Amino acid sequence: MLEVDRLAKRYGEVWAVREMSLTLEAGSTLVLLGQNGAGKTTALRCLSGLLQPTAGTVRVGGIDSREDPDAVRSQVGMVPEVPGLYDRMPARAYLDFFGRIHELDLETRTRRIGDLLDLFGLSSAGDRWLGTYSKGMRQKVALIRATLHRPRLVLADEPTSALDPDSARVAWAYLEELRRQGAALVVCTHNMDEAQELAGEVGIMSGGHLLACGSIGELVDQAGLKRHRLVVERPNLEEVYLAIVGRGRADEARPA
Amino acid sequence: MRLDRRKALLVAERDFRDAAGDLRLALAMAGLAAVIPIVAGLGIRALAYFGGGLSPLVERLSVVGAFFVVFLPASYSLVLALESFVGERERSTLEVLLSTPLREAEIYAGKVASVLSISLLLCFGALFVYCAVTYPGLGYFPLGILVSLGISTICQVAAMVAGAVIVSANARTMRAANVMASFIILPMSVVLQLEAALILVGRGELLWAFAAAMAVGAAILLRMGLGGFSREALLSRESGTSHRLRRMGRALADAYRRAPAGPALLRARRWPILSSLLAFPVGAGLGYLAAGVLPQQFVKPALNSLLATSAASDPASLAAGIFLHNLLAILLAGLLATVTVGLTGYLLTALPGALLGYAAAFSSWGLALTGILPNGLIEIPVAAIAGGLAIHIGASVIHMEPEGGWLRRMLDAEAELAKALLWMIPLLALAALLEAFVTPRV
Repeated sequence: MLEVDRLAKRYGEVWAVREMSLTLEAGSTLVLLGQNGAGKTTALRCLSGLLQPTAGTVRVGGIDSREDPDAVRSQVGMVPEVPGLYDRMPARAYLDFFGRIHELDLETRTRRIGDLLDLFGLSSAGDRWLGTYSKGMRQKVALIRATLHRPRLVLADEPTSALDPDSARVAWAYLEELRRQGAALVVCTHNMDEAQELAGEVGIMSGGHLLACGSIGELVDQAGLKRHRLVVERPNLEEVYLAIVGRGRADEARPA
Repeated sequence: MRLDRRKALLVAERDFRDAAGDLRLALAMAGLAAVIPIVAGLGIRALAYFGGGLSPLVERLSVVGAFFVVFLPASYSLVLALESFVGERERSTLEVLLSTPLREAEIYAGKVASVLSISLLLCFGALFVYCAVTYPGLGYFPLGILVSLGISTICQVAAMVAGAVIVSANARTMRAANVMASFIILPMSVVLQLEAALILVGRGELLWAFAAAMAVGAAILLRMGLGGFSREALLSRESGTSHRLRRMGRALADAYRRAPAGPALLRARRWPILSSLLAFPVGAGLGYLAAGVLPQQFVKPALNSLLATSAASDPASLAAGIFLHNLLAILLAGLLATVTVGLTGYLLTALPGALLGYAAAFSSWGLALTGILPNGLIEIPVAAIAGGLAIHIGASVIHMEPEGGWLRRMLDAEAELAKALLWMIPLLALAALLEAFVTPRV
């Protein structure tokens, strides 16, 4: 579903993403971890066809994002970090607008919007202006908007950061359902517990590099944590993350 | 350019509803667009009533009033456009729109259409109210001028909207955009004042020329806006914002290093150089024709004083003066090319040509040509090359590309002129020496 080959993106003199390669099958999840400025958001923008790579290729469903970015974007659902909603629009009209952009017919739009507003507990507020919504409600609307057209690839930048635990559980359950239906998910998060629970695969980014990518077990091996463990217990993701990022920084600091 | 009209209309409809949905803004705009024309119209009627009826002054002031009444709602287009582009970008709603399958052209066209329709609705509404209050029973209705006003208003609004899009590509916040918007509103207000001056001196027929110029300006700006409205330019972050001066210095040095020189430069810029060279005979022809139109009592004393000054100077000072004058003209043409869209590149050859033609009209072409030989054999080609490079600078200014890099392209164009000056300066010095020491003896 998603093939990334030596993706690089430069802003002026700064390389935001460097030599990023990964593949993701339909129905699988990749969690991207990394500190602020690690290049996660830029990577998501390149994967979604929103930005063109400076070098390397991104293919979504076999389509090269450089050759047909419009087709790539129609297959992708992007949940940005900031919901970016129109404050003077009711939720239902807002979602309908995006449904029309994705060329969903009236019946499908109405049904999907109704179902998803129900699922996220927003039905009663569906005709209120979005400007009156709480932060969590806004994030839910952003998630609905991004997945209204049943995208084959969902890219989510901290999709539950403003949600209370109950709502976050609903959101993750919904994303999990999309995954079961065949969508591939790429999720950026700082929440290690969520990442550990969610992830089929985990990618760790630092300074624009994808330092490591694989299952948690593979990352434990890569981090070399097993050798230092005396007790037989599974190292948690936070330890793995810190070990890999620490090693990445040390590699960068070492003179060539 | 591929564009699905339905999708552009979808964006336009949403933006229109959004702007109209802000009741405070909508009421303020509609209120001002109605109240000001009523007050202005009543003022004109009062002037006619207390001033003894219809007079040329009342007629002209009524037309000036129409221009001012339309300008206010036209200026709202800038506010609406900045809000639609920069405001949306600041609130991250533009990023969401850009992440959909919509093409840039559809988003751009939709947003421009929405702002245009609101602004034109207000402009023509204000004009209608003004006409309804002012002209009934006045015995005067300047239909032709009002039609030209209508056309130039459409172009003026389009130019402001397109200008706002260009600003939005270069401004990260509304505050920065509002400051940059002065570069749009100030020239527009100058245009309004010129139009008012033309009406007051009774040359209303020239307003058609303004309407045509505004149409060309609007077309250029709309094309530039479309060129610059891209996901890449809007979402790519400005990196390395510290050490701005150092980065600017490095960019200048890089541009200078990249610029072609000598024959490679002449080959690369042959078309603008040729068009600048062509402006010389065109200018000469116009100067020749102008001699029959321009009143001699204005032009001849100026030329005589110029000739007297050059005759009185010693040749060395004269050569220095000519050299500095020519160098300054080239430098100014290069710098002003950015704001005149390269027009100064044509002036660099057209103006000397016009002087030659003007002089020929009072003597003969043969005599006039001997007055510029042999120095002209160097000066005119140098002016044509400098003019061509200035035209290229102007072309770089109005050319925007999806991946951005507007500043780099402009710096490259300026650097070409700077690099060419290395060999132009000795040639200008040689030409000045010839003009001071040899030409008077020919």
